[in-house]
Amino acid sequence: GDALLPAPQNISIISTNMKHFLTWSPVTIQGETVRYSVEFQGEYEREYANESWIPICECSLITTTMCNMTEDISATVPYNLRVRAETGTRRSEWGTLKGFFNRITTYLTPPLMKIIADGYHLLVELEDMGPAFQFRVLYWRKGQESKMQQKIVKEISSTLHLDTMEAGTEYCVKAQTYVEAINRSSNFSEMQCVRAQG
Amino acid sequence: LANGSKIFHFGPCRISMSMNEIRAGFAAIKANIQGRDPIRTVSILSHPHSLHRIKSSEKCCIIHHLFNFYVDKVFKYCTTEDSYINRKISSIANSFLSIKRNLVQCHNQNMCKCGQESTEKFKQILTNYKGLNVTSAAMKSLGELDILLDWM
Repeated sequence: GDALLPAPQNISIISTNMKHFLTWSPVTIQGETVRYSVEFQGEYEREYANESWIPICECSLITTTMCNMTEDISATVPYNLRVRAETGTRRSEWGTLKGFFNRITTYLTPPLMKIIADGYHLLVELEDMGPAFQFRVLYWRKGQESKMQQKIVKEISSTLHLDTMEAGTEYCVKAQTYVEAINRSSNFSEMQCVRAQG
Repeated sequence: LANGSKIFHFGPCRISMSMNEIRAGFAAIKANIQGRDPIRTVSILSHPHSLHRIKSSEKCCIIHHLFNFYVDKVFKYCTTEDSYINRKISSIANSFLSIKRNLVQCHNQNMCKCGQESTEKFKQILTNYKGLNVTSAAMKSLGELDILLDWM
């Protein structure tokens, strides 16, 4: 029969802010288009469904070397992930991600934040990072760090009103994200300060 | 709560459940799954009485039993020919498994008291389930998931 294709190598998952992408090195065969198919296996499949694997149709017979797993990795349990190469009639063995992937390990970046002094009003605009994200905003009058105040933002709307500032005073703000599903927070953003009018 | 996470307190036991992810997964397949259930006159969860009749003090017990029920007796018998449906079922099943693990901790810390009412109710659910063949019973139970989610 036809010689087997080499299995994809360097399989890894890039997970940032609860978005998960499986990537691998391309398999190159002179004069042929190599396609790839990806499957996943959650803890449930391993323990209750005969270790079955589930294909992802958006990542079946694709030519790119990346697959967005975000929609399928939607539980905080360990997942196995695998990919194989195919050309016409020939197929490779499955290449499997070394070790499990659990979304609890996703990398959380500090939120993008913009603060505005609108007259005497201290406002903040936060990046909409999706429904899984809450925000913890800390703000204080410069020099009075001991009187730091906090606002928890559970759903992003437009601009958030933080405080009414005293004339001519400077206020500072920093923020971090919190993801309830994995019970983890990001680092704080860089502190930003603005001065009230007057 | 953001992303619909719900915090359940059973005594000092605290369980966070990302309900929106489960609801979103179920909403995506509800019509398809319920469409596969030919027996409209029978209910697994609501016959003869609704879950709402259960005292709140016994809620933890029933939730614990029902999560075990869905993990052990429902999801794995619901494999379909549709890959998209199977992916969504996997998503819900793995979320249930994750929550079940937390519920077991509550149960082991004696926070999940089972009285006669919840014990009888769960017996009835099993009787309803066994009254059908496995695939029909599993598919019907999956189709009734919103009854459980709404009650929770």
